[in-house]
Amino acid sequence: MKTKTHALLAMAAGLGARSALAHHSFAMFDQSQTVTLEGEVKELRWTNPHVFIEVLVKSNAGAAEEWSIEMTSPEHLARTGWRPTTLKTGDHVTLNVHPMRDGVKGGQYLSGTGPSGPLLGGAPQQPEAAK
Amino acid sequence: MSPSRSVRDLVSKLVLGRGARHAVAVLVAFAAASASAQSPPKLPDWSGQWENVGATPSPDGGFYEPLEQVLKTLEWAPPSKPEVQAAVDKMVAAQRKAMDAMRKGVDPGGAVTACSFGYPALMIESPLMFEILPTPKETALIFSSREIRHVYTDGREHPGKDDLWPTPWGDSVGHWEGDTLVIDTVAVKSAFPGREGISVNAFGGIEEMQTVALLSPDARFGERIRMLDKDHLEDRITIVDPKNLTKPWNLRRTYQRVTHIHRMVYEDCEGEERNPIVDGKFTLTPAPQ
Repeated sequence: MKTKTHALLAMAAGLGARSALAHHSFAMFDQSQTVTLEGEVKELRWTNPHVFIEVLVKSNAGAAEEWSIEMTSPEHLARTGWRPTTLKTGDHVTLNVHPMRDGVKGGQYLSGTGPSGPLLGGAPQQPEAAK
Repeated sequence: MSPSRSVRDLVSKLVLGRGARHAVAVLVAFAAASASAQSPPKLPDWSGQWENVGATPSPDGGFYEPLEQVLKTLEWAPPSKPEVQAAVDKMVAAQRKAMDAMRKGVDPGGAVTACSFGYPALMIESPLMFEILPTPKETALIFSSREIRHVYTDGREHPGKDDLWPTPWGDSVGHWEGDTLVIDTVAVKSAFPGREGISVNAFGGIEEMQTVALLSPDARFGERIRMLDKDHLEDRITIVDPKNLTKPWNLRRTYQRVTHIHRMVYEDCEGEERNPIVDGKFTLTPAPQ
């Protein structure tokens, strides 16, 4: 997310018509579409700048296809309660994602369900707002 | 040069309104007090990690709060001079055009990147968590981007003209008024190489942003940081920038305690990059095997 924020900052730095955009963005995902994937976790890649859930989803033909589901950074995710061990290899998950525009098997994480129930991703669990 | 004198010089060079003169006087008082103040006998306990209320990152890579809400609920309203506001409006129009392109998956081009947020973004708009470490002679604000603000409270003044140059974090001196940390910051420049002006931006939702103000390299920043309750800090910020603002700009930000992790975790600006731009479009590469 930070890199993405930097992308936005870069855009902010642009003057006049010379708007700028960094190399990283979530623009590859179609924000108007949401798809639900069901499969088994291959790996939770706890990497910077972004974390990925690699999940094996069965195609209509029955073959396992790997999807890469992109999340925010480890720092930001950890603040919502996620950890590198939140999902383990073989965990059965259902994930709601914005899919790639170009048909590549990937998506932007929105929400999901894991072995222990709903995965984090909804409203923040934070103290009351400051007065 | 003393901070008081440097501010007076600033005033003597620029025609200021009554409000601006008052605010500069306040900043002079900040600076003068910082030159003679002693640290309190007992420093406040601000331990733990903090995050900006209203700039909270969500697991999907965006912010919990949509931009429209961020613009409404956080204090902005900069008193920009008309010609500066016109420049901001032009930037906003360009940003909207770029965001429209991005919503179609197209790279608007002209990439400019930085691995630092810089000041005042770190306090006003950043989603990064941070720690505050008060010590008798210096308070350090440490951000998850590995950016650090050093606020010297040992009574020193800002460096003299020959020993001071602008950086993305500026030069900060301060003093304690009870449990309130009072900071005076000068010599700030944009975190983006080659740019002197400082943009203040609002972020929200998924890749939504809007420049709110443009500040000049002459901008001077006063802050008053205090604890509201055990889970909240407050920063009252006064920006004096006679070159770009018609009067001082007063902002308030609050920071809440990070609840799900209790240690600093750093970001990595580069890392495992899997979203290259290919033929002008954003892409996603398979996981390295």
